[in-house]
Amino acid sequence: MNVIYPLAVPKGRRLCCEVCEAPAERMCTACTVTYYCGPVHQKADWGSIHAKICQLLIPLRTSMPFFNSEEERQHGLQQLQRRQEHLIEFCYTVAQKYLFEGRHEDAVPAALHSLRFRMNVHGLSSVELVPAYLLLAEASLGLGRIVQAEEYLSQAQWTVLKSTDCSNATHSLLHRNLGLLYIAKKNLEEARYHLANDIYFASCAFGTEDVRTSGGYFHLANIFYSLKKMELADTLYTKVSEIWYTYLSSHYQALLHARTQQTDLLGKQFMNDTGLDEAQEAEAIRILTSILIIQESTSTQAPQKGILILKTLGILYYLMLEFSKAQVAAVSQPPVAVRTQADRTAVPLLKRMPATGQALNIQHGWHGQLSSLL
Amino acid sequence: MATFPPLSMTRTKLAVLARQKLPCSSKSIPRAQLIKEKDDIDYYLEQNIKGLSKEEVAAHRNSYKKSICVDMLRDGFHKSFTELFSLMEQWDKLREAAQARSLFWLQRPLEDQPDKLDNFYHYLTKAEAAERKGYYEEVYNNLYALACYFDNSEDKWVRNHFYERCFKIAQLIKVDGGKKEAEAEAHMGLLYEEEGELLKAAEHYEAFHELTQGRLWKDATGQFLNLIACESLVRTYRLLSDRMLQNRDYKQAIKILIKASEIAREGNDRSMEGEASYYLGLAHLASGEYETALSVLDRYSEISTSLDDELSLGRAYEAMAKVLQSQGEMTEAIKYLEKFVVIARNNFKSLDVIQACTMLGDIYNEKGQYNKASDYFQQAFSTAMEVTKTTLMDETKVHYGIARAHQMMLTMNGYIESADMNSLNCLLSWKETRTQVEYDPILGEARKATEDNIYQFPDAQEETRRSPENQ
Repeated sequence: MNVIYPLAVPKGRRLCCEVCEAPAERMCTACTVTYYCGPVHQKADWGSIHAKICQLLIPLRTSMPFFNSEEERQHGLQQLQRRQEHLIEFCYTVAQKYLFEGRHEDAVPAALHSLRFRMNVHGLSSVELVPAYLLLAEASLGLGRIVQAEEYLSQAQWTVLKSTDCSNATHSLLHRNLGLLYIAKKNLEEARYHLANDIYFASCAFGTEDVRTSGGYFHLANIFYSLKKMELADTLYTKVSEIWYTYLSSHYQALLHARTQQTDLLGKQFMNDTGLDEAQEAEAIRILTSILIIQESTSTQAPQKGILILKTLGILYYLMLEFSKAQVAAVSQPPVAVRTQADRTAVPLLKRMPATGQALNIQHGWHGQLSSLL
Repeated sequence: MATFPPLSMTRTKLAVLARQKLPCSSKSIPRAQLIKEKDDIDYYLEQNIKGLSKEEVAAHRNSYKKSICVDMLRDGFHKSFTELFSLMEQWDKLREAAQARSLFWLQRPLEDQPDKLDNFYHYLTKAEAAERKGYYEEVYNNLYALACYFDNSEDKWVRNHFYERCFKIAQLIKVDGGKKEAEAEAHMGLLYEEEGELLKAAEHYEAFHELTQGRLWKDATGQFLNLIACESLVRTYRLLSDRMLQNRDYKQAIKILIKASEIAREGNDRSMEGEASYYLGLAHLASGEYETALSVLDRYSEISTSLDDELSLGRAYEAMAKVLQSQGEMTEAIKYLEKFVVIARNNFKSLDVIQACTMLGDIYNEKGQYNKASDYFQQAFSTAMEVTKTTLMDETKVHYGIARAHQMMLTMNGYIESADMNSLNCLLSWKETRTQVEYDPILGEARKATEDNIYQFPDAQEETRRSPENQ
């Protein structure tokens, strides 16, 4: 069943590979509506997105059942529309997450799916296509295919230029990717221009102190870092880490507050949650760790900054329920703090985290380390 | 590229003009001269037919605000950007608040004023660059320059924002012994004073005063900072005490004013000291401590005399007269008031003259010396006529009328009480004419007022004209 013969397909009906649009020779046996040119692409698609959406594709690709009344037909159409929109969002988020995790190869099929559904729903020249183009561009960049990335980006830019009503968020994303492209092409002048635009649009859309704006600052900082303008890069990195710290700590406080307020009332435990989607979490981890590495390698005179980042990372991991990593982050703070005798704020955090009672199994280890420290 | 000698071409005047206006045409080399070799075209195009660069396109497409922001960011001035951005957001909020209160919002947005944006860009980026290097003094200077630039009525809030920033920065500057800090304190004081938060203003001014004590710093106009500190502190204290007096909190007001006069004394400025003691005297008067009020005001008059300041001397006399009046020592009060009238008249202070004359008239009125009272009220009235202020004129007119009535009442009473033919005749004749009668206790006779006397008082005339109808 797995193999199909292109010659046996009825005339006028062309089966294309899901990934590369070449004539198909294989079919997914689970859904029987998806075709591939070979096992390589099938495996890639399965690993990336198909495993997650396999069954969801069936209603979209088979013909609609027969409905008796107009009302039912309308309802059926609406449902179809909704399914497609859901898939668009889902594929998009999955692709984004892969990107932030650095799995560019896996991101491509997911992004392609998102783009294809977008084309179906919104038409070819809609602004809605832009985010998918951007994802593809980012993935291609990650894979080192600069020409392809540029193609996607030009497509996106052209779409944005033509449209009159494009949100600031989309503008910001477009400019961020253009900036990344120019970084990859080593044209730092252009890259700076685009990243500045990115920050501007993101600020218009979300405000200057939002986590979604921080990405632009981070990339800009990277440029200045590679230009050896350390002071400048340092202020920007500090800005990014402050943005994340304020967001996460306020979220953490709100969570603590909610927990103390409501547990006795409903007996319900509040799950830890960062208030971010997966892609943003991945982005946060990537940004914060790379800043940390840079900080450690360059500055020895400002340990507070390092501590701030470690603290932020600690809270982040804690909220993401990754206690062992949280522990690593929290435990590596005090040595820095003690060594410099500048900041002892890290210790309360350490005490607070086992106190919440979630990380029971690592409590002992912590107390041991704490007592050895104090 | 090979250039051939120019062809002689005859053109009409209009064509020449048109050619001059065309941006692409080069004046020296006409087109016919250009004979292209193989790869020359690019050079020619570059020189003469210029396309738009990316920046130029961006400048055309985007708003000026955006270009400024992007320029800041691409050079890494993210703090400047954040500040500018938040200021613009604040402007939006202010406008919305104004709309909610259905006020007509006149102020243009910052985005539409490129010169202001340019200033923002210039100073903010400079300040940030200096801050990065730790030159706080320069940061302060740049921020202060911005504050000065926005020192007009419509951009007060921007100026206040930068005053606050200056204040924060100034606390980091330690090299100059606190001069910048003192200046920043002064600005904060001014800010709160304008907003009407006098307590906070006084706090900042106190800090300002403390920092400048014993220093010989001067500001840009060459005034001693310490003196300015004293002045503003005294002024704020006075405003505070005014507020307290309104709430009848005399003790506090006096306490504050005593503090003010001490500071004024420290400031080594006699006129300021006098001023402070004047207000202290008034506060004592309001709280009913007449003796202290008198002694304080005495000091004020002494200072004024030594400074040859007639105006303040007049004010001193006036205040003293008020104190004496409330003490009941009328003769003394009259003495001072007369001095005050003289001074005011010499200095052509019509309003003061009117006030003094009215007060004098009041006193005489109370004492029953109606002639004198009406005399002074007449003076007040005629002075009011000179300055042509209707409200004042009306007021003095009423006073004057009352005094005149009082004056006549005695005579009328005499006539009625004596109840003989003569008096009756007089009464009747007065009723017919309704003119001025003067009291003459010896003769008991009423004399008609002279014609010009009537002429001066249109009211009386009107009365006479109307009387037949009333009857």
